[in-house]
Amino acid sequence: MMENPNLIELKGVSKDYDGVTVLKNIDLCVRKKEFVTLLGPSGCGKTTTLRIIGGFELASEGQVLFEGKDIAHLPPYKRAVNTVFQKYALFPHLNVHDNIAFGLKLKKVPKAEINKRVDAMLDLVNLRGYGKRHVDALSGGQQQRVAIARSLINEPEVLLLDEPLGALDLKLRKDMQLELKSMQQRLGITFIYVTHDQEEALTMSDTIVVMNEGTIQQIGDPKTIYDEPANAFVADFIGESNILRGTMIKDELVEFAGASFPCVDSGFGENAPVDVVIRPEDIMLVGEDVGQLVGTIASVLFKGVHYEMMIDTGDFTFKVHSTTMQPQGSRVGLSIVPFNIHIMKPMEEEA
Amino acid sequence: MRSDMTLPSWAWIVMVAGLVAFVTMIVVSIRRHQGVKRSLFASPYALWMIIFTVLPVILISYYAFTDVNGAFTLDNFKNFWDSHYEMNKVIAAEGERLGVDYSAYIQRGSVNVDTLVYSLWMAFKCTLICLIVGYPAALFMADRHMKLGSTLVVLFIIPMWMNFLLRTVAWMSLLEDSGLINNFLRWLGLDSVQLMYTSNAVLLGMVYNFLPFMVFPIYTVLSKMDYRLTEASADLGCNSFQTLYKVTMPLSLPGVISGITMVFMPSVTTFFIPRVLGGGYTMMFGDLIEAKFLTEGNWNAGSALSLLMMLLILVSLSILRKVDPNGEGGGLA
Repeated sequence: MMENPNLIELKGVSKDYDGVTVLKNIDLCVRKKEFVTLLGPSGCGKTTTLRIIGGFELASEGQVLFEGKDIAHLPPYKRAVNTVFQKYALFPHLNVHDNIAFGLKLKKVPKAEINKRVDAMLDLVNLRGYGKRHVDALSGGQQQRVAIARSLINEPEVLLLDEPLGALDLKLRKDMQLELKSMQQRLGITFIYVTHDQEEALTMSDTIVVMNEGTIQQIGDPKTIYDEPANAFVADFIGESNILRGTMIKDELVEFAGASFPCVDSGFGENAPVDVVIRPEDIMLVGEDVGQLVGTIASVLFKGVHYEMMIDTGDFTFKVHSTTMQPQGSRVGLSIVPFNIHIMKPMEEEA
Repeated sequence: MRSDMTLPSWAWIVMVAGLVAFVTMIVVSIRRHQGVKRSLFASPYALWMIIFTVLPVILISYYAFTDVNGAFTLDNFKNFWDSHYEMNKVIAAEGERLGVDYSAYIQRGSVNVDTLVYSLWMAFKCTLICLIVGYPAALFMADRHMKLGSTLVVLFIIPMWMNFLLRTVAWMSLLEDSGLINNFLRWLGLDSVQLMYTSNAVLLGMVYNFLPFMVFPIYTVLSKMDYRLTEASADLGCNSFQTLYKVTMPLSLPGVISGITMVFMPSVTTFFIPRVLGGGYTMMFGDLIEAKFLTEGNWNAGSALSLLMMLLILVSLSILRKVDPNGEGGGLA
């Protein structure tokens, strides 16, 4: 184990359904005690990846390694992973206590110990005293906690979570995000978490794996994913951004929206077409005379923390977030510091 | 024997009065609400039920508790428990008249009770076999990974398009001495086997005819079940057998209950199959009732048997209802 810090490794995993490829050559490493999030739009293959790790789907190609051993053909019940299913999948014929005790009863754990551990689990998920309740009589959030407790009681090496908070309302979802994160840190269990909610991914993860159309777009920690998106898809999917076509005139100088800007990227060659990504909060509003670009405010929306303004420069309409409002119709200068201009290779299908 | 089978006049009065009350009810409800009440749409059904369910039950009860002359009597039920009841009564009376002890000639036992016990035993065997054969079939059909499943569903339905009598008679050409199976055995050089006119042939006919009624309720429940539940059970450490035993089976119980009801009830009252495949050597309760009505023309005895039959079904239904209180199987229980 010392020489191999990876708990789970996917090597060249692909998956076809009746000739339709849903996963293409996935390589992924998950370390011990890591919180990894598979993030992407629906149909991107994130759930399929999770199901392959859980043993519910067989990979068409590639290896699934667990502590260095290939488990690709092991059935789910022989894997040291447990899953929290999207719609919880609690057993409707059992009460809360029996649902949670399900795994331990199979392992023939003595009854007294089962009761002790179920009670401890109920405490952990804040459901003390709910043991005798019928699962149908619980709210969505409570059912979710039971599902988590039912998995965690088996002390899995890895917990797989398939959009576990998808059915909850916003407030509850935010609370559960924090709870899950602190639970994961306390218990020291590896979490592999599937979601399409980028904010959820940024809040909870150690590592985010952004997926689209069956391929991995980028793997990195939340800050890297947000600040240094690898391509226009990631930039567009994570947070809000202005994405526009540009030309790399030479190293550290890029042209877009009819003006050239100094930047920090290099190595694209000269006069190469590139995608330029600028976050709305990275565009500064300055005086008309000192701006790198000049535009007219087309619309203003109040968003609570900031104002969202659409600014038309003639070539492009920029989305800008600012805490100070400029009236609609006024002309303003736009300025962007080199560090905040993200240059990336154009998306493959557009090249 | 009863020669004129006309209804007693009071039965006609009850029927006409019921109809008049019903029509009055409708007229009044239209007047009172200045429009048609929604429940009114149920009236054709209610009328149907009254004419073809409620009244017949009343009539059967009437016949069961009266004799040929329409006088109240419990003899029909005494006859059920003791088929020699009438004869014994004569013997006892004769003995008393002559002052001789004829008690040695008093016969005990009842053909009716024997037939009922035999019917219940056959129905039990039929239901059990249907369950043992039908449950795996339903499991297979409902398995979302099995592409053959939907084909199997159709294969189970197709025989039901054919007439019930025809299906049963068709078995004769397979089972009889010069039938397909025995010809095949002779072709192999083996002795032919007596297949027809045995209680096993009757059982086979019953299982064949009633199997779909077991398969479909179970199939419906299983195919509606969230497949993630079986995945969750595998995830928590169950192998396929444990998943079946701990999750799938308990959750399909409503379908099983419904299937048992749908097979057991017609099985007990089966009357055509024993005659065709059993050749009349084995009689079931349905045959007995049929014989009382059509052969003997004894409506009173037949009604008593029918009433007992209904009582029996009612009791078994209420037992089943205890197991599946919500009626989730969508059956009759």
